[in-house]
Formats: sequence, structure tokens, C-alpha cells
Amino acid sequence: MSAARVVMRSMWRKASGKYALIVLGLWVLVSLISLVWTPYALLETDGFHAWASPTAAHPLGTDGVGADVLSWLMAGSRTNLAIASLTVVVAGIFGLALVAAMVSRHTALRSTSVVVVDALISIPTVLIALMLSVPFGASTAVIVAACGFAYGLNLARIVRPAAILAARSQYVESAVWSGASGSRVFVRHIMPNVMPVLLVQLSMSAGTSILAEAGLTYLGVGVGVGVPSWGHSLATSVRFISIYPLTVLWPGLIVTMTVIALHLFGDALRDAIDPLTNPELREAA
Amino acid sequence: MNIEIRGLTITIGDKPIVRDVCMDIADGERIGLVGSSGSGKSMIAKALMGLLSDTARVSGSIMAGGRQLIGLDDTAMADLRGRYMGMVFQNPAAALNPVMTVAQQVGLPLYLRYDLSLDERLDRVKAMLDKVGLSQDALLKYPHQLSGGQQQRVGIATALITSPRFIIADEPTTALDSITQRQIVDLLTSLVDDAGASMLFITHDFAVLARATTRCYVLDGGSIAETGTTASLLREPASEPARRLVAAARQLTLSRDGGIGDGDVGSRESMGVESGDRVIMRKDGGDE
Repeated sequence: MSAARVVMRSMWRKASGKYALIVLGLWVLVSLISLVWTPYALLETDGFHAWASPTAAHPLGTDGVGADVLSWLMAGSRTNLAIASLTVVVAGIFGLALVAAMVSRHTALRSTSVVVVDALISIPTVLIALMLSVPFGASTAVIVAACGFAYGLNLARIVRPAAILAARSQYVESAVWSGASGSRVFVRHIMPNVMPVLLVQLSMSAGTSILAEAGLTYLGVGVGVGVPSWGHSLATSVRFISIYPLTVLWPGLIVTMTVIALHLFGDALRDAIDPLTNPELREAA
Repeated sequence: MNIEIRGLTITIGDKPIVRDVCMDIADGERIGLVGSSGSGKSMIAKALMGLLSDTARVSGSIMAGGRQLIGLDDTAMADLRGRYMGMVFQNPAAALNPVMTVAQQVGLPLYLRYDLSLDERLDRVKAMLDKVGLSQDALLKYPHQLSGGQQQRVGIATALITSPRFIIADEPTTALDSITQRQIVDLLTSLVDDAGASMLFITHDFAVLARATTRCYVLDGGSIAETGTTASLLREPASEPARRLVAAARQLTLSRDGGIGDGDVGSRESMGVESGDRVIMRKDGGDE
């Protein structure tokens, strides 16, 4: 059996892993469906049925302008999926580049990068997004850039100790001995050995980017006007929470369930891909 | 490859770690470098490899096969290492990358230094595993699936895969039990002799030294305290540091064996090692 299948099976066997896989699977599925079909068109509104409770025609009710909540949430799932995946890519690349500098053989580069990361990490994500939104306007790209930057710094700080351990190990010395270049040592010898920490951190970043999207959209620096997202659905209805709590409940519930799923996914994946904690993987090898 | 070290001094900060060391290793010779912890053994090895940290200041001369190693740039040094030198590390569990299979590990120096196809590399790796006594099943195994002795065999295979002319073994048996120690030392010496390469064997264990080397240098506080054939050094160490090391080796052997023997190195049969140093000395240095 291939290693990938063993990993999936080990994750599925645990309740938390099963929950994460189901929720994330549904998320991807709904995002794909929303590209071709939603129950109602996004701009279709029914002024006579604003703030409607769930009915057969509108399973999750309607919002303040009478638009179908389910359709908006379905369409929002693809925006959030894009934000989460792009954040993971940006944070991963940026963070790993920083880690590479932090464990480099050049003393000056090593110490400078540590100081720079420590200084930059104190800037809050929201502030970065606010600053970026001034010249570029509120957009998905601003959220991805702000989250990717901030989470990349975080990732670098958290992965660094594991990377240092690997960089100072004898197997790296042995690879250098054999004539491996600095970049090769990092990609082939250090990176695979920090993978468990890296994956957990990246899945946490994906989860946090969803929360950040919701927060930033509420502040007006998130996704652009008219772009469906879970944060948008929350922001438009949160002022009426005491009168129409259901319209806030649905996006809130989805955000919470997805963020929990992403966090659990990271934990389950780490346990499953580490041959030291997963005996099945050892047998498969 | 013959190695000639002259006046080697290594200083870290203001502290001299190695002082004015001179050593000669002839082509095909197996030389021991023995000393207590902190005497500077590994520093000399690192200087030979060109892997000293950039805070260390080195002076003197190290000639390897007629080339000056001190001051050589990183690329040239890496090329020299990859083609002509091999290194067996102290702790095999730490020297093998936990996420690489045996085949990847052993094939790495070939991949980095030689322009060979995957099949050619695999053939060489298989032949090498055969030489170090590992079955072909080991090819796709990860380090944690191997025993300590098997791991060190992989380490030896990695060091010897490029048929190097000079091998540095940095306490290669310290992390192993005494039976495995003997097997590994015998394997290493026979492979080195077969290849006609020279070897620098670093250790603090005189019993291992006697099996692995013919001549040795005793290092104390960063300088050479004594040199001579391993057998004569074991029999009558002249310098105080050498006497201390030999005495310590004897004491350790005695206490390990429960105090049998007559104050000499004592019996090692109980550990499955061939009758102790006296026999080895007879073999190597004509004790009788």
C-alpha cells in the first residue's frame, strides 16, 4: 500500500481526523459546486421576504435584502478556500525562506534574520492589512498578503528550533562532507525533518486566515464589496444579531467548524506522517 | 593518499585547542589518534575535513596527496572530500538522515560527485551493501528500522562508496556494544586494506585501537604527547597521558569483567572479544 494511503487511513481511524477530513472534504466539494450552481443567483433578491426564517425555498433563510443565505455561504466557501490555500502557500514560502536564512552557515545572515523576524513579528496582522489596503484598496489579495506575511514570520520562529537541530546534526554534516550545496542541504536534509512542525503550523495558519478574513471584512479592509465570503455574510448581519440571530449563526457556525477542522487536520496529519508515532507507516516502508 | 600535517595550531577565541601538531600518514597506513575527551582529537579531524567553524583560526600546514588543504576554498575542499576522502561518524543513529532510505543515503556521495545513471548508482550501492554485510532488503529501510551495528555498516558503506583514498573514522565504535564493536572494526580495517586506502582512526578506547591501527599518536591538551607503534604504546607507555589512558582502559576492562586476571588487560572472552590486548599485541607487534 502506498504511503499516502496509509497516512489517509491512519487519519481516518481517529475521530478528530475523521471529523477534519469530512468537514474539509465538504468544504472543497461545496466550493466546486458553487462555481457552477447555487440555489439562487447571488444578486437575486426578494424585498418582500427580507430576514426570512428558514423555509423550504430558503433552507437557511434570507438576509436584510432578501438574498438567499445558503447561496451566499456556498459562494463564500470558494473565496475562503482560495484565501486559506493562498495564505498557506505564501506563508510557507516566506517562512521557509526565513528559516533558511536563520540556519544558514553565514553568521551575519543568520543573526540579522533572527533580529529582523523578532522585530517584524510584533506588527499585528490587522495593522499590516490596514496599511496595505490604503494604496491597494480592500481585496482578497490584501488579506492573503497580510496573512502570508504575518504567519510566515510566526512559522519561521516556530520552525527554527527544529531546523537548527537538523542543521547541527551529524547527518547534515555528513551530507556537507559528501559535497552537498547549502540549498540542497536545506531542501533535502533539513526541510523533510521539520515537516511535522511545519504542517501543523501551516494548517493553523489556514484556520487563522479564515478568522482574519472575517475580522478584516468586518473592519472594511477584507474582501471587496459584493464579493461573497463567510466574513462578508457575518459582517452584513452581525449588527442585527439581537433581532435576527439565525443569519449570524450560520456563517459563525461554518467558520467555527472549519477552523476547528483545520486545526485538527494538522494534528492528525502530524501524527500520521511521522514514522516514529505511526507504526503502520513503519510497516509500510 | 599520504597526509602530512606540520605545525597545525587551531585557536578558537583566545583559547588554543590544538598546538603545533605534526603527523604523518603514509599511503595505505592505518593510524590511530587517541586522547581523552577534550584533547582536540575531533578538531584535528575537522581541520582535515575543512569543516571547522568560521570562528576557528588555523595555522600550519596540512598536505593531502601533495595538495595544501589549509586555505583551500569551500568548493575545492568539497570536491576533494567527495572524491578522495571518506568519513565514518561516531554515532550512526545521528549520522543517518531519519527521512532517507539506506539506498538514498549510501548513494548520496555518488549522486553529488559522479555523473552516473540511477541504475548504475543502484548497482554500486547494492555491491557496497554486499561488501559491508547488509542484505538487499535493507535498501528501502529507514535508519530507525536498523540496529546500531547495521546503522554503522550503512555509515561505512556511505563513507566507502566513492572508493576514497583516505578515511577518517571518528570514534566509530563508541556507540556500539563490544561484540558489534569488534565486528565493525574488523569490517572497516579489512575494507580499508582491500581498497589500499589510508585511515585515521580516532578513539579513546585502547582495545579498539589495537585492533584497528598499527601506529598511533597520543594527544593531550592539544599537543602530541607520544607516538609509536600501537603495540609498544600499549605495552610500555612512556608519557604520563598515555600511561593514564592505558591504565584507564585496563581498569575498565577489569571492572567490566568482574576483576578477573592479574592486573593486566584481563580477559575479554566473557564479552566475546578475542582474548584481550595481549593476543592482539602479539599479532601486531610481536610481543613474544
